[in-house]
Amino acid sequence: MAAPSNFRPPLALPGFEHVRRAWHEAHDTYAARLLPGEYYVTKSDEAVYTTLGSCISACVRDRVTGVGGMNHFMLPASASADRDSWRSTSLSEATRYGNFAMEHLINDILKNGGQKKNLEVKLFGGGRIMSNMTDVGMRNITFIYDYLKTEGLKVVSEDLGDVYPRMVVYFPLTGKVRVKRLRSLHTNTIAAQEVQYLESIKEKSVSGDVELF
Amino acid sequence: MSKINITELVKAAGNLVSLPDIFIRINQLVENPQSSLDDITKVVSQDPSFTVRLLRIANSPFYGFSTAIETVSRAVTLIGTSQVRHLALSTSVSRTFEGLPNELVSMDNFWKHSLYCALIARILAHRLRKTDPEALFTAGLLHDIGELVIFNRLPGPAKEVLLRVLDSGDEMPVYEAERQTMGFDHAQVGGELALQWNLPPLLQDCIAHHHDILQAQNCPVETAIIHIANTLALMAEVDSINLDDVPAIDPQAWEITGLEPGDLIEPVIREAQEEFIDAQKLFLGN
Repeated sequence: MAAPSNFRPPLALPGFEHVRRAWHEAHDTYAARLLPGEYYVTKSDEAVYTTLGSCISACVRDRVTGVGGMNHFMLPASASADRDSWRSTSLSEATRYGNFAMEHLINDILKNGGQKKNLEVKLFGGGRIMSNMTDVGMRNITFIYDYLKTEGLKVVSEDLGDVYPRMVVYFPLTGKVRVKRLRSLHTNTIAAQEVQYLESIKEKSVSGDVELF
Repeated sequence: MSKINITELVKAAGNLVSLPDIFIRINQLVENPQSSLDDITKVVSQDPSFTVRLLRIANSPFYGFSTAIETVSRAVTLIGTSQVRHLALSTSVSRTFEGLPNELVSMDNFWKHSLYCALIARILAHRLRKTDPEALFTAGLLHDIGELVIFNRLPGPAKEVLLRVLDSGDEMPVYEAERQTMGFDHAQVGGELALQWNLPPLLQDCIAHHHDILQAQNCPVETAIIHIANTLALMAEVDSINLDDVPAIDPQAWEITGLEPGDLIEPVIREAQEEFIDAQKLFLGN
């Protein structure tokens, strides 16, 4: 699994130094590993990958310059289900969270030389991986379609819904993507990561830590 | 962890689970040349719960006998004594191992893969004609039992193993992540449990060596079948017919079995997918 000894990961763009990267023999490249709630943008020849349950990853790139990246997010879902009377408030709050995830990614691509008219989008995730739970994946899919329609962004390919967890490996420079369905052995691990992430964004929105921009 | 520790790990797990009594009793009779068909029929009849399961399976599409089978002796005659022994184990497998619960993988998800492996191994055995389909079915169901021991006894390292597989982009097989994390893998642990339980040699070989098929001492062909079935089961589970989606099959497994991968993979996967729901009710239902 070791990288060629004279190899180092390409320089990370400012603000992305903290994202964990490692050499991946199978793809012959360095790759950044995203966890739920994270995103990564690069201009270099490297990959970014993540595992998805009911979360969504948008893979966005400028098809001319090759700058691009991936996010990994979901809408905070439990609030609206738990407290019906507050539904409208929590729904808009939830949507706002999805907007952040998309805007952070797109803004950083534009900041690094991308142009909005050149952006192409690929969408993955939103699976219903736990059969006994409400279909939070579908809610995330509905959000991302609405968002992209409002922003006038084009989806060039997608693999959404269904019952499988997924592994997504994205190469922003070329736009190439590898999606692999994961066996159910991994379902609980992925679901646990997503639940942990949901808890963390719930706390944030309560304490008002989410930054609007 | 050293060999001695694997033994101790399995001993600790062995206190939480035990082989079904009915399997042990039929197994003793099958291995005793003095015993007769009547002896086995009698033992089966004394276990009402297994009698129900046996007759239900004998009359299911799983066997596809043309006439209704209404008595234990008829079922034992048609299915075969050694095969009935394996059914005693495979029809109670989820109950046998419920003493090894864990927080990492749901039992439904765990058995889903094992049942696919069992169905595919059985289909391959039917095609080969020289191996016992029922024995292969049981071997498929049990091939990963070492994982249940690890999940239950070593939840910390087991969680690390699963994260390591995901961090590798699902390129590293589970057994490799186990070896790197703990110094041993689930096949070794399962093999040790099979040994301590004194399971038939075929089951011991398949469980212990399905990732390391050249090590199989007694039943290399059956072990190679389980190796192939294990990988095809992964494909059936994610509904893929692309070998790039799963860890590579050891090319020697094809040589040892004499099976030709060419036109075989897709039809075998489809057949197993068609059988799955019924088999789930027959073997994993409570």
